Amino acid sequence: MSRLVLRFENSKLKEVPLGTRPVTIGRAPDNDIQIDNLAVSNYHARVYVEAGSLVVEDLNSLNGSFLNDMRVERAMLKDGDSILIGKHEILVDQTHDAAAPSEEWRKAPAPRVNETMILDTHERRKLLEMTVAAGERSQSSPERSRVPTLTVLRGRTDQKEYRIAGKLTVIGNSKMATVRLRGWFAPEVAAQINKHEDGFYLGRGDRVPKINGTSIHGLTKLNDGDVIEVGRVRLNFMYRE
Amino acid sequence: MCLSLDEVQVCGAKGQSLWEAETPAASRMRPLLHIQAGARTDLGRVRKNNEDCYAIEAALQLYVLSDGMGGEAHGEVASNLAVQTILTHCRQAENSRATPIFGEVSTDVSERTNRLSSAVHLANRKVFETAASNPEQKGMGATIVAAWIDAQRLSIAHVGDSRAYLLRAGSMEQLTADHSLVAEKVRVGILTPQEADASEMQSVLTRAVGTNSAVEIDTDEQALVVGDYILLCSDGLTRMVTDPEIASTLLTSRSPQEAADRLVDLANDNGGVDNVTVIVLRVDEKSESVFERLKIWKKHST
Repeated sequence: MSRLVLRFENSKLKEVPLGTRPVTIGRAPDNDIQIDNLAVSNYHARVYVEAGSLVVEDLNSLNGSFLNDMRVERAMLKDGDSILIGKHEILVDQTHDAAAPSEEWRKAPAPRVNETMILDTHERRKLLEMTVAAGERSQSSPERSRVPTLTVLRGRTDQKEYRIAGKLTVIGNSKMATVRLRGWFAPEVAAQINKHEDGFYLGRGDRVPKINGTSIHGLTKLNDGDVIEVGRVRLNFMYRE
Repeated sequence: MCLSLDEVQVCGAKGQSLWEAETPAASRMRPLLHIQAGARTDLGRVRKNNEDCYAIEAALQLYVLSDGMGGEAHGEVASNLAVQTILTHCRQAENSRATPIFGEVSTDVSERTNRLSSAVHLANRKVFETAASNPEQKGMGATIVAAWIDAQRLSIAHVGDSRAYLLRAGSMEQLTADHSLVAEKVRVGILTPQEADASEMQSVLTRAVGTNSAVEIDTDEQALVVGDYILLCSDGLTRMVTDPEIASTLLTSRSPQEAADRLVDLANDNGGVDNVTVIVLRVDEKSESVFERLKIWKKHST
């Protein structure tokens, strides 16, 4: 994947990966690249992908945007290009993704629609590299090194605290439940927690659980500190060291 | 091609042999949930061969579906062999705990799920070795999606782009992530879901059973609740019918078999571009006497 590198007086300030969403540049804090300088307009410019190419567009800024020293309103970008906004430089870096594989992939001849095929080894390795790179970039959450736990705040359960391990955690009266609910009327599966690649998700069972007081609609991701309510039981979901 | 869904496996549309289920081991715990199953496989409107294959072993609550690939009807060989290998291995493991486990064992899932994954690893090995020893079968492979139910736990193992869905309380969720080129690109961020749906490369897989000596299998577990529907299907269904149409068909059919028939008809009405196979499962309550319920409660509360 391509990226934009923000530089000022020869120091690298920030790096922003270019996905399918456009990248906005300006002085206002809600820009993807924020440049806090009076020469920069609140919403100065943006960079986006159009038909496989990178494009920079000036958003009617006061002082203009410059591509390789030429003032532009709209221009196509290539690897190594430099966009000047105020005194800040934004470099286009496409070296890491082996000459924009997104374009390579698109240009690859399409196999006949009706045939099911398997990727050959070389193609599979390229895809794996990109997947790993994308995964590394998104792996910034510190939660990965911490242990997810459920602490009982209220209600009748067999333990006071539970460690969540495994892909499936059941809250209920069932023999396979991690959080065993006591009581004649407790359902076998009141609710369940599924482990996905990007975190833990709470789903309904026989009951619709609540997160922080609100009933869930379908699988809902759990955040550190969330309070889960199932029937009379209240649990605190936390990541511990 | 006749079938009695309690016992028998159905493969292809050309009158292949039928397998019969063996009786389960007596030591297995009596299931608390009753699973009602319906299934159908169909050539579709365009293809000359049906390379899909499915099997239901009701006594084990094991359900397997496979979509074969490889020219000249070798896909049929691959999918048949994969399904048969999985059934045999799972039956064997139920009868003997000493049955070896193939592939990596994960501590994230139960023994049952690891066993299902082991069956798919073995299927991969068998198909790969068969292809290696017959030059005209080179490159043949298959997708797999398998579901195995143990009391309230649903174990899923899959490779490829055949899918498993769970429909609960009117809301449907895809349990499996497609191992296809376009789906991987969407996950990495190169394609949007809309671009993926329009892509001409939708049938290119990143993983399959039998095309390599080793394979990475995805597993999942869910807790089941009375009223749940589970759907296993080949891409012949999901290419032709939208998820909301699938969900509403499941919810408005009187039985899983009726749902399966209607889903296949829908796929054919919309073009029937590929073979289509579906297995529909519905989780029903087992009716027991109050006395039996007391016995179970007493056993569980000790």
